[in-house]
Amino acid sequence: MTLHTRSTLVMFGATAMIPAVQAVSFFVEIGPLVAGLLLAGRVGSGIGAVLANMRASEQIDAIESLSIDSFKFLVVPRVLACVIALPFLTLFMDFAGLLGGFLSEELSSHIAPTLYINRAFDYLQWANFIAPTLKTAVFGFIIGSISSYFGYTTDKGAQGVGEAATNSVVLSSLLIIVADVLLIKWIFFLFPETAI
Amino acid sequence: MSQPQTIAVEFKRVMKSFGTKRVLNDVSFHIDQGQALCLLGRSGTGKSVTLKLIMALMRPDSGEVWVDQDNVVGMGEKRLSLVRKKLGYLFQDAALFDSLTLYENLALPLARLTKKSKDEIDDEVHRVLTDVGLGADGAKYPSALSGGMKKRAGLARALVLEPKILLADEPSSGLDRITASEIDELLMRRKTEHRTALIIVTHDVHGARRLADRVGVLDKGNLVAFGSVDEVSQSENEVARKLITE
Repeated sequence: MTLHTRSTLVMFGATAMIPAVQAVSFFVEIGPLVAGLLLAGRVGSGIGAVLANMRASEQIDAIESLSIDSFKFLVVPRVLACVIALPFLTLFMDFAGLLGGFLSEELSSHIAPTLYINRAFDYLQWANFIAPTLKTAVFGFIIGSISSYFGYTTDKGAQGVGEAATNSVVLSSLLIIVADVLLIKWIFFLFPETAI
Repeated sequence: MSQPQTIAVEFKRVMKSFGTKRVLNDVSFHIDQGQALCLLGRSGTGKSVTLKLIMALMRPDSGEVWVDQDNVVGMGEKRLSLVRKKLGYLFQDAALFDSLTLYENLALPLARLTKKSKDEIDDEVHRVLTDVGLGADGAKYPSALSGGMKKRAGLARALVLEPKILLADEPSSGLDRITASEIDELLMRRKTEHRTALIIVTHDVHGARRLADRVGVLDKGNLVAFGSVDEVSQSENEVARKLITE
């Protein structure tokens, strides 16, 4: 992203805007969306496969037979973990992206770190940062609940394990993109000043 | 003086179908506390389904399933949870939680369902594991256990809450004769020392002859014979006679 935008901004003589464009891009959209899609691929498939395997090998029946509510025991903690973890992973993604952007700029134009940071955060308001980061909690809920649903309800034995993993990733990713569009509109409605 | 007989499990006209296939057809029977019932029959005749209906992991299409004076059909989750505490279930492949060690597999129900302290749970888990000959294996994960050890571990987990009724789904399948007979010994001890009712699904006729007070033979969803080993071996039903006398 950094390499692509650089050439365009240089063409328009807006080289000084490169850090700001990178920061806004990462904090507002790229960080949350990429973190959500990565979590859907890595964790969503894992949740789907693990729960489907537990269903196929009667481990979920075993939990029920021990008078333990398998939904509360297996599904609720996974959904909560996704909801809580994704905003933090998004922060990590945002700053990792910004670091990559700085390194790219450093190699291209030998920009000083303090100047890069100052320019990067010039146009970034709290509303650009807080709302997009918190919206990933919704992505986390989608990943946790969709993946748990496919894993928990499978009834196809070993074949169901692969299906649950695939379906978890595909549907979670699609719903994250749809939710992202809706949440962006909602964020614009709540924080009109962020509609840059 | 003999103890009064109380019904541990009773089926009343139970029907269960999967799609168009009827797996249990108007099945009725009961066993008393302290008795062992072995369910025999060819594969796919509804034996494991019978156990799952008792544990209320499935619901019948019609009929009643009574467990220690409670009809579990249509029962709410809260009351069902109380009934399930009276039951232990040894699954066919043990169904141990593969992300937990053997110790954790047994400690989990104790930690969640009892008010025992950590020390008491440690003692209880160690005692039950020692009973099944796995006292030194508590730190192992299920993937590190042999087939026989898994069965014994599954049995230990089924027994850790001291159930009144133990359901065992093919406890000796896939095991050599010596290990199978060790499992049978453990079940027999449970029955005689704790007066636990046993309902065992098995293809092992020798084991059934050793353990069973009652034998039930399921064929095409029907309970075609039910009674003592001698009674079933003289049954008019050919499948039942063949199964018990093979």
